[in-house]
Amino acid sequence: MSDLIEPKSQKKTSVLFGLLFKTPNIRKFMEKTEEGMWLPSFSEYINKLCKDGDEVPERIIKRSNIERSFGHQLFKGTKNPSRDTVIQLAFGFNTDVEGAQNLLKYARKSALYPRVKRDAAIIYCLHNGFTLLETQTVLYDMKLSMIGRGKLYERFEISG
Amino acid sequence: MNDLKLAVKEIEDGYDALYCPAEFLEQYEQLECLSAGHGTDTYLVKKKGGEEIFVAKCYDKRVHTNVHENSILKELSHRGLPAFVDEFQNDFAACVVREYVEGTPLDQYLEQRELSNLDVIDIGTQLCDILVYLHERDNPVIHRDIKPQNVILKADGQVALIDFDISRIYSKGSDTDTQFFGTKNYAPPEQYGFSQTDSRTDIYSFGILLRYMVTGKEREDSNVSIYKPFGKIIKKCTAFAPKERFESAKAVKKALFLANPETQRKRKRRVFICSMVLILLCVLGGIKWYQYETMDFPAASAIPAVLTEEERLADAVSYMKDKYGTELFNEMGSYADIGFVKTVLTDVYGYDRDYVYALPEEGPPHESDHNFLPWGMGDEQYVPRDVMIYVAVKIYWVDKVLDYTSIKDDNGYYPGVRVAVAFAEESGIVTGVGRPEDITKGEMAILLANADRVYTALQE
Repeated sequence: MSDLIEPKSQKKTSVLFGLLFKTPNIRKFMEKTEEGMWLPSFSEYINKLCKDGDEVPERIIKRSNIERSFGHQLFKGTKNPSRDTVIQLAFGFNTDVEGAQNLLKYARKSALYPRVKRDAAIIYCLHNGFTLLETQTVLYDMKLSMIGRGKLYERFEISG
Repeated sequence: MNDLKLAVKEIEDGYDALYCPAEFLEQYEQLECLSAGHGTDTYLVKKKGGEEIFVAKCYDKRVHTNVHENSILKELSHRGLPAFVDEFQNDFAACVVREYVEGTPLDQYLEQRELSNLDVIDIGTQLCDILVYLHERDNPVIHRDIKPQNVILKADGQVALIDFDISRIYSKGSDTDTQFFGTKNYAPPEQYGFSQTDSRTDIYSFGILLRYMVTGKEREDSNVSIYKPFGKIIKKCTAFAPKERFESAKAVKKALFLANPETQRKRKRRVFICSMVLILLCVLGGIKWYQYETMDFPAASAIPAVLTEEERLADAVSYMKDKYGTELFNEMGSYADIGFVKTVLTDVYGYDRDYVYALPEEGPPHESDHNFLPWGMGDEQYVPRDVMIYVAVKIYWVDKVLDYTSIKDDNGYYPGVRVAVAFAEESGIVTGVGRPEDITKGEMAILLANADRVYTALQE
């Protein structure tokens, strides 16, 4: 299996969760992309993930619970995703926290940040291998907005 | 199947809510973190029970000791700045909630498209307007972090400047800033602690931003050719020594206006006309001056002695308002154009519109019953001082500009301006309008008020 899609961790302890807040990896994604550094487009990145993981976009789209034609437009690069859509794709790719952070970086979206309660919940679920449905349930029980609630707070997007 | 109840408990137990004030978390839901670092976290938030989006900045008090400065930042009100909404504090942090400015950051905008020269001028001019507002307050605010990521282009073309993380209130007498922040490439030398930052700090960063808009790079690249006027502006903005930069955002704005190709074309035409007038003055330099021996100019008593330029401006505008009921001169600092002069002639002095707006006949400039101005100047052209002096003298002493036949005029150039300037200097009506360039509406008010006072004194 490609190192881009890592196996889920089975450990889930509060100590581990506490460590998550201190991990330098979070800081790495909070720092802005170095000026002048070129990033491949999001569609290029997710296509590469599929290829390296021996997956097909159709299956990723289905696991992400994204509308089918919109999902294909994301892979073609004709549409840009919202932040929540990227998080859905992280579950679709069955990736962990670092994988999700990479997806957000390539989509030019804000990283998951533990000081945001909703992000903290999503980080926990990704780290412990929860499915998208389980994560939605956790968010619902915590009275937090579920993933994929809409684009009310998206900045003006430039579609390709 | 995962234990979801345990998950909820662990997340709730592990979540550190101490950092943000409880009242803030009670009223707002954090949606995402836009940036974090240097003791400041910036969140996109939503008021609970509503849909409107805001931006909340939470400052770690161990890093930011001067959070009280936000009381001044709270008062900022400009369409190009995010409005203050709310503020919360606890022992650890202060959170300031501001309006969310919807749009595209300039760095992202430039990833997708190039800007034309007119786009650059438009964006630059709007930014200058914002900086003028910040810098000219009683307590000037220096932004200190002007860069493409902090410039937002809204869908309607308006520009906004965000992120007041490291802005400071300028304090006279302070040698240095207490904290050294900024963004590499955009921060001027003084921001690294050698002296206090002032408005020219922002002008430096503006210059780097301008270069970025024009070339796509922050650093100078001799292999990239750019529009010459922009090159001059960038060079002056980014001079190493603050004293060699533009002294104000207003000056930068004017430079951008003059860099507009359309303005350049009009300016060349105006320079040509003024050159003709100056040539005339030089040629007639040895000619006998028009004598006003019978005139006694009570300039000293008619024109009030005022202490400062600001007082003189305010006095003149007030005088014209009181006597003629006009508020046309309220925008004292705005440059006057020929169209404005014509409006003053019709609306304040009651001249016939056809006479004021008529263009002169062809040929050298000359007085005529059909047109007030002897030159065919466009309404958008700025008004040179001497042309306005001619207008003022003609309003009150029309015979002075008509009777110049005693002055030798072999070249056929129009001597009315020279005569008017000589009269104005001798009578003192140019007091307070010493600058020889284009005049402002305030300076125009000074000229007209002076002329009005001297004329009235002579009638008494």
